[in-house]
Amino acid sequence: MQLFWQDLVNGLLVGGIFAVVALGFSLVWGIMNIINLAHGSFVMLGAYLSYVLFSTWHVDPFLSIPIGFVVLFVFGYCIQRFVINFVVRAPILTTFLLTFGLSLLIVNFALLVFHGDVKGITTQYSGSNFSIGGVTIAWVKLWTLIVALVITALMQLWLTRSKTGRAIRAMAMDIDAAQLSGVRVAHLYAIVFGLGAGLAGAAGVLISLSYSLQPSMGDPFVITAFVVCVLGGLGSVQGALLGGLIFGILEAFGSQYIGTGLQDAVALVVLLIVLIVRPRGLLGKATA
Amino acid sequence: MSEAFLSIQNVAMHFGGLRALDDVSFDVERGSVLGLIGPNGSGKTTLMNIVSGVYKPTHGSVYFNGKRIADVPTYAVCRLGIARTFQVVKPFANLSVRENVAVGAMYGRNGSKRNAAASFERAQELLEIVGLARVADRHASDLTIPDRKRLEVAKALALDPEVLLLDEVMAGLNATEVDEALELLRTVNARGVTLIVVEHLMKAIVSISTAIVVLAEGQKIAEGAPAEVLASPRVIEAYLGTRYAERQRQRQAQS
Amino acid sequence: MAAAPPSRALGGITGNATALRVTAGILIVMAFVPLLHSGYYENLGRSVLMFATLSLGWNIIGGYAGYVSFGNVVFFGLGSYVTAALWQHWHQQSIVLAILCAMVVGVAFALVLGMPILRLRGHYFGIATLGIALATQEIVSNIDWLGAGSGLTVRPVDAYSTYYYAMWIVCAASMLATYLIARSKLGYAFVAIRENEEAAAVLGVDPTRYKVVAWAISAAMAAAAGAVFAGANGFMDPPTAFALDNNVFPIVMAILGGVGTVAGPLVGALILTAINETLWSHFPQIHTLFFGAVIVVVVVFLPRGLLWLFNTRGGWKGIVGSLGAYRV
Repeated sequence: MQLFWQDLVNGLLVGGIFAVVALGFSLVWGIMNIINLAHGSFVMLGAYLSYVLFSTWHVDPFLSIPIGFVVLFVFGYCIQRFVINFVVRAPILTTFLLTFGLSLLIVNFALLVFHGDVKGITTQYSGSNFSIGGVTIAWVKLWTLIVALVITALMQLWLTRSKTGRAIRAMAMDIDAAQLSGVRVAHLYAIVFGLGAGLAGAAGVLISLSYSLQPSMGDPFVITAFVVCVLGGLGSVQGALLGGLIFGILEAFGSQYIGTGLQDAVALVVLLIVLIVRPRGLLGKATA
Repeated sequence: MSEAFLSIQNVAMHFGGLRALDDVSFDVERGSVLGLIGPNGSGKTTLMNIVSGVYKPTHGSVYFNGKRIADVPTYAVCRLGIARTFQVVKPFANLSVRENVAVGAMYGRNGSKRNAAASFERAQELLEIVGLARVADRHASDLTIPDRKRLEVAKALALDPEVLLLDEVMAGLNATEVDEALELLRTVNARGVTLIVVEHLMKAIVSISTAIVVLAEGQKIAEGAPAEVLASPRVIEAYLGTRYAERQRQRQAQS
Repeated sequence: MAAAPPSRALGGITGNATALRVTAGILIVMAFVPLLHSGYYENLGRSVLMFATLSLGWNIIGGYAGYVSFGNVVFFGLGSYVTAALWQHWHQQSIVLAILCAMVVGVAFALVLGMPILRLRGHYFGIATLGIALATQEIVSNIDWLGAGSGLTVRPVDAYSTYYYAMWIVCAASMLATYLIARSKLGYAFVAIRENEEAAAVLGVDPTRYKVVAWAISAAMAAAAGAVFAGANGFMDPPTAFALDNNVFPIVMAILGGVGTVAGPLVGALILTAINETLWSHFPQIHTLFFGAVIVVVVVFLPRGLLWLFNTRGGWKGIVGSLGAYRV
């Protein structure tokens, strides 16, 4: 029974990270209809940024979170504005391949610069944890979850309250109408993509606190993000959060009872079940 | 259980809180041309979607030759003998005009009896009938609007239908083109195809329909021969408003 | 505006007729490569044929039916493992047997998985297939009967060129199959689904059924290629069977050559292999990097591929003009 609670808690803790990763992915998918296969590489860049800041200037990773967000935001903005924008309204294949090509570029660039060996960040507080009722919780992971929740909440607020946020949601509903209303679509698209990248970057920093780094680390996150979006429902911040947490728990239990090497298989089974039983996800809006 | 040719019985369509159609019933006679009219938003296209199997009604049923349409998946409806054109015409852009029509000939009601070559022959015949033979080899995306409408009709005819639903096929046509379209529809009807025509153009509807059904706000408000339906005060009111209907009544009372 | 040339010159759905004849010619010429007695060229040629087959397979579901599969490598991998298992457990070396069994396995896999996931539209199918490929790789790595992580050895048939000819036959058969499909009712069902799935349904095409058929055909081709590859390679393990390269390159090749045409995949395979070889020999360190750049450039500037270049009204000007079509 102990194990059950431990797994549940572990799942929740990692679920927060999944939620942030999925949120960025969901924004780009929901608003621009682009499935960004390079999303994982953005996560990886965020993680490496945190590593570099930590090993060179001893910047605590928690402080790197906003830095990671901003740097990746700018990076994402530029990529969208100057590369992806050319094919943003093209059929899915085109954007799939483009983002895949970008992902190849980014990952291999990282391979060149950072080399393939595994790296990690160890802070003073890395190992410390506490126990509640027999369940061990690492402080780092708890704070990671809290930060993830804060980020999600801030994103929701911004999307619903700010002027830009509302313009973005209008654009998502009807791009031509938005354009006719004076919305600068190219710019907003770039902002959305930048946000997606920024969120991925922030998630990457969070990940660097608890997990090891290598250039290919981002790849599994694309599948995770996709499954979480499908599970939680596209177009919804709460959906990404709920989906992320649930998926984290499912993976934790899957790891425990089926085997650690089979994360992708678990993800796939979840995906298939959701697609068959309730394609719009838990909190998603039904599409015609 | 009605043995009528095409029977719409108590059909209702609710989209969440919106009642697009409410208890609509009428029968269509074999070989007739039924005009389906009504102000915008009255539910005409929704009804078309239900009869062609694209939507399943929330309540009620549509029976065709005794078979309930909602029981059949969308792709099998044409095999029952029902075909339709779409209001927003989107042909298969990267295929030629002939190929567009051939797809219907391949997979429609008599499709299983035809191979590819026979389907292309059938497509060519139909193109002659609708007047598109001269552009048979062009990309479908290159056609003018009137030609696209003709293509829509040809594609539907390729299914060898008994009933053809035409959803605002005259929209965007000028006077000459409307007359040509009417000619085409008469030809099609003369070959034994029952037509249900949704239109806004009164002149067109009157000249071609043998019977008219009027919808307003999702309900059927009139049914019958064209002349009497169009003179009906209730219909006039639905289209032109209560004040106009009132003035019309006064004018008639004075004459 | 001048009248467009007749549809036969546009090639209907087989693609530009001249390009097709030229490509078929190249294929026939390639049958003679083993006569050069060069291991290097034989390997290279066999690689081109393998990728062309994979690309032809992808072209059926992705090019003709318009459903982008990002996981067709799973069929290749399964086909490879069929050969490996046939040798390891039943001591069968027959290439023909391997190909047939691989095709059966591939088609069965596509039918079973295709039913649920092809019900849905484009995006979902794409990543679902990617997920399937990754998950299958993981699962195979955990199955001891298939050698788990360390893999299985396969004893190749002694005459090395046999595998070249086998791959050639598989490729030629795939291309012929594509040609026949494109000229038949089946091909039109696929294209109708690609152009407008709803309109296709109204015209009597059952979308799910035909999508599954398309995927099954592409599975058969990929599995056959995998079956031959395993024998030629002499060894099979999960990373080799399910290599990402085998997943993405065929797609890029089809795009480069021309999606939805018969000749496109082979043309793309030839060109991209040539580029790849050049990059490998000159820039071994950053060749994947360059490849990523190639993909980006191809996708942005040639969204429909080279063969469509000959079909587009206006040729090069059409391409430049169409650059603006997809942007905001």
